[in-house]
Amino acid sequence: MNDRHDNPDDRIATIAKQSFDESVDSLDAATLSRLNRSRQAALAEMRKPSWSWQQWMPASGLAAAVLLAVFAFRGPAEIDFVGEPATDLEILLSEESIEMFEDLEFYSWLATQELEGNGDLG
Amino acid sequence: MTAGTADFAVSCDESQTGARTLQQAQKLDQFLASVERRALRIAEIAIRDRDEALDLVQNAMIKLVRNYRSRDTDEWAPLFYRILQNGVRDWHRRQAVRRRVMAWMPRAKSDDSDYDAIAAAPDLAGRAPDEELQNSEAMRDMETAVHNLPTRQREAFMLRTFEGLDVAGTAVAMGCSEGSVKTHYSRAIHSLREKLGEHYQ
Repeated sequence: MNDRHDNPDDRIATIAKQSFDESVDSLDAATLSRLNRSRQAALAEMRKPSWSWQQWMPASGLAAAVLLAVFAFRGPAEIDFVGEPATDLEILLSEESIEMFEDLEFYSWLATQELEGNGDLG
Repeated sequence: MTAGTADFAVSCDESQTGARTLQQAQKLDQFLASVERRALRIAEIAIRDRDEALDLVQNAMIKLVRNYRSRDTDEWAPLFYRILQNGVRDWHRRQAVRRRVMAWMPRAKSDDSDYDAIAAAPDLAGRAPDEELQNSEAMRDMETAVHNLPTRQREAFMLRTFEGLDVAGTAVAMGCSEGSVKTHYSRAIHSLREKLGEHYQ
């Protein structure tokens, strides 16, 4: 630093530094007291425990509960979701016409009627 | 190893750890005490508000102790000033946002808004009023000129000149290369010479 300040071109830095140091030395007592309190507050951080797994326990517990809740609600839906494409695939690959599957309700009713009719016959 | 020896070893380890912590606390206390006043003035010149500057210095102290106390003591000063400079930049960003919001709101003028408690306080160093006036005027001119420098130039100038960090330390504190520090510093000196030439030649 000194070599820099000995340079005439940087004389302004030397004078500015002197002026700055004077302002530092003339800080009032209230400000110095507050700085001291700030320093003590900072040093008090050393007495606090550093990172430990206990700090994350509440957050971890909450996260686990949320995950469980999500799985509990979405679990059955996923099973249905897996089943649906298989049913669709069966329909697409079968030799029956699509119209028949659309009228499944009708054919179901018809089969019931036929069974009842056979019963009467029997 | 017997149970008694094991207990003694554990006790020794604990006492050694305690001694190390105490030693570290003393070093940190000394370091913070050595930089706190200059740090406050540097922050105050940058933001022109002593209360806010005090808050920024306290935050920087806390973050240094919390996150970097185990680092090498030589690294503390650049790291501390890096935290402080980040705080100053965040403060300016918040002020810019606040100004944009306040521009839409009506402004109430306070009766005592011109009163400056710091300027009105008596000089503790016991200087004569003339000398005090001359010094305070010179300091005020210099502060204004430094404050008005572009951010990076102001940081380079204050860290190099006021805090006395070397180029490498200033580069760490500013989060840039040493070449950039030299460039910013050189431009800052050039600009200050132009603005304050008549006072400082």
